Amino acid sequence: MNGGLSAGQAVGLVAKREFSTQVRSKSFAIGIVISLVIFGIYALIFQFIGDETSSDSLGVTPAAQPVVPALQQAAAASGRTLTITDVSASEGAAQVQAGDLDALLDRGAGWTLTGQDAVGSELQTLLSTVVRQSTLDQALQAAGQNPATVAASGTVTVTTLEPEDPERGQRLALAIVTSVLLFMSLIGYGSAVAQGVVEEKSSRVVELLLSTIKPIHLLAGKVLGLGAVGLLQLLILGAIGVVVGSVTGLLSAPSAAAGALVAAVIWYLLGFFLYASVYAAAGSMVSRQEELQSLVAPIMFPLLLPFIFAVSVLPGDPRNTLGTVLSFVPFFSPTLMPARQALGVAPWWQVLIAIVLTLATIVAVVAVAARIYRNSVLRTGARVSWAEALRG
Amino acid sequence: MLDIGGLHKRFGSRTALEDVTFAVRPGEVFGFVGSNGAGKTTTMRIVLGVLSADGGEVRWQGTAIDAEARRRIGYMPEERGLYPKMKVGEQLAYLARLHGMPAADATAAVRRWTERLGVAERVNDEVQKLSLGNQQRVQLCAALVHDPEILVLDEPFSGLDPTAVEVMSAVLRDKADEGVPVVFSSHQLDLVERLCDRVGIIAAGRMVAVGTVSELRSGGVERIDVVGPPPDWARDLAGVRIVAQEGARTRLELDGATDQDVLKAALAAGPVHEFAPYRPPLTELYRDVVSGGVP
Repeated sequence: MNGGLSAGQAVGLVAKREFSTQVRSKSFAIGIVISLVIFGIYALIFQFIGDETSSDSLGVTPAAQPVVPALQQAAAASGRTLTITDVSASEGAAQVQAGDLDALLDRGAGWTLTGQDAVGSELQTLLSTVVRQSTLDQALQAAGQNPATVAASGTVTVTTLEPEDPERGQRLALAIVTSVLLFMSLIGYGSAVAQGVVEEKSSRVVELLLSTIKPIHLLAGKVLGLGAVGLLQLLILGAIGVVVGSVTGLLSAPSAAAGALVAAVIWYLLGFFLYASVYAAAGSMVSRQEELQSLVAPIMFPLLLPFIFAVSVLPGDPRNTLGTVLSFVPFFSPTLMPARQALGVAPWWQVLIAIVLTLATIVAVVAVAARIYRNSVLRTGARVSWAEALRG
Repeated sequence: MLDIGGLHKRFGSRTALEDVTFAVRPGEVFGFVGSNGAGKTTTMRIVLGVLSADGGEVRWQGTAIDAEARRRIGYMPEERGLYPKMKVGEQLAYLARLHGMPAADATAAVRRWTERLGVAERVNDEVQKLSLGNQQRVQLCAALVHDPEILVLDEPFSGLDPTAVEVMSAVLRDKADEGVPVVFSSHQLDLVERLCDRVGIIAAGRMVAVGTVSELRSGGVERIDVVGPPPDWARDLAGVRIVAQEGARTRLELDGATDQDVLKAALAAGPVHEFAPYRPPLTELYRDVVSGGVP
């Protein structure tokens, strides 16, 4: 009554079990919630830091009043919020001391700007520029020149060879979000593969499974099943991100977002197969979850390095040469290349080369990982040595 | 017929199996006994293809066993193992499907076997919530759920309570009666003797005896228990050796004399209340065989 079982059916059954077990587990929903909370906190902190550094309160003494209109104009032009309070010199000093004012502007023999223990550099620059300008204007008028004419002849007009990208800010945010998502997905579901392999070893169920299916089918099913769960989570988070971004108006470039999401999915799949194979091989070499940590810790580095690079260096310098070079290195590509794509600095041929290189690496890594897995998965007790794991 | 032919296996410098050969016929319960480390588990793992042999082969119905045939074996590994966090019913259905059973048949088989083995009310519980005894029953379900053509069970009786031992024995007998070759290993020799049609004894990687229990006995010298005559009645009897003397019971080993010679001598010495050939239990045969005595 039992029909045969093809390789595809065996892999499918294993993958289906992995998928349904994982999706129904609490950790799946919790993972999504935690990711959303992390992103929310991240966005709030970003917003808060932005607000804090772009708004100042300034006390102005009656003697300094003449520059107030120019100050307000300059602040508005540079996108800063400047709250100006009229105070006497002594009142102002007291309020600065109390922290109610960021600084006090006064004019005696010369101009003075007083802060508590420091004055923000942007406020300093703003005031210096305005005060210098107004002094110059007065001097020009005294010399019989029209300050507006002089200013017009001394203005630098900024142009770019390529049209300026109106979505640059959005792209920066997308690049960072993509990197974070990929990093979390690859780490999370890569280690889920390792843990799953160890669970089957430590519960000894693996011997029962391998009495009916081949090790490679069990491995393939596990990787495909968990990979699909990771993909589902990535898509859910991506969709939530796009919807929330559009509704709140934070995301004004849905096409860039969709492009980033597509790139993220492609690189997730490539990165997952690469890292999951390594994680699975590592998992098969130990017999207990406690032993796993020391073996998988080194796998974190090739993920962590490009991730840090992607979120810290690339946003300020998208065309960074080191970043460009590293984005072609197979184990680094999955987190670096999509960030460069989101920033709009990776031509299609570069992406293609990186994809081909990564695919070639996957083929080699899967072959080695499958051998290690086959040699190690039925061995219990002490950690399997590299020599034994790699043999024949 | 399941033929295990000339299996050799080495682990590093240690020889685990050396020319292990025996056959299990359809409808036969075969008991596989031997001390720890003698090679029982290694042999079974090779039959299942979980381990590869260095030499020899396993044949099923005349052809070398392949993955497809192995999928129709019901196996209970020595190291018990199920997914601890998976529900009993789902897990058994999954295992049945991995053995090639269609989904609908798998569901029906899970119901049938969990009822038969008394764990039907636990199908929606996670395996880890069951007592060890019940986990053991689920493990047997896992070996039976795909309606196997061959049963290979490594220590199926260890850790079972007397009721479960009865259920398990009955199930093995039933499967054998359906024409399934059943081979299991055990250290409970009285159970093996009661349940098995044939027995194979393995020691240090070699088969030292294979046959029915009475065949194993017949290889040994003939012994007779006599109850009745006063002590020392047989001391001067020619052609026998006294093995044991306990109260009115004397156990003699025939060494030239016939049982009729002994009976006449016994009747001459006094009243005879019992006169019977002594049938050593498997435990004793096992001890003789394993300690190097000629069977």
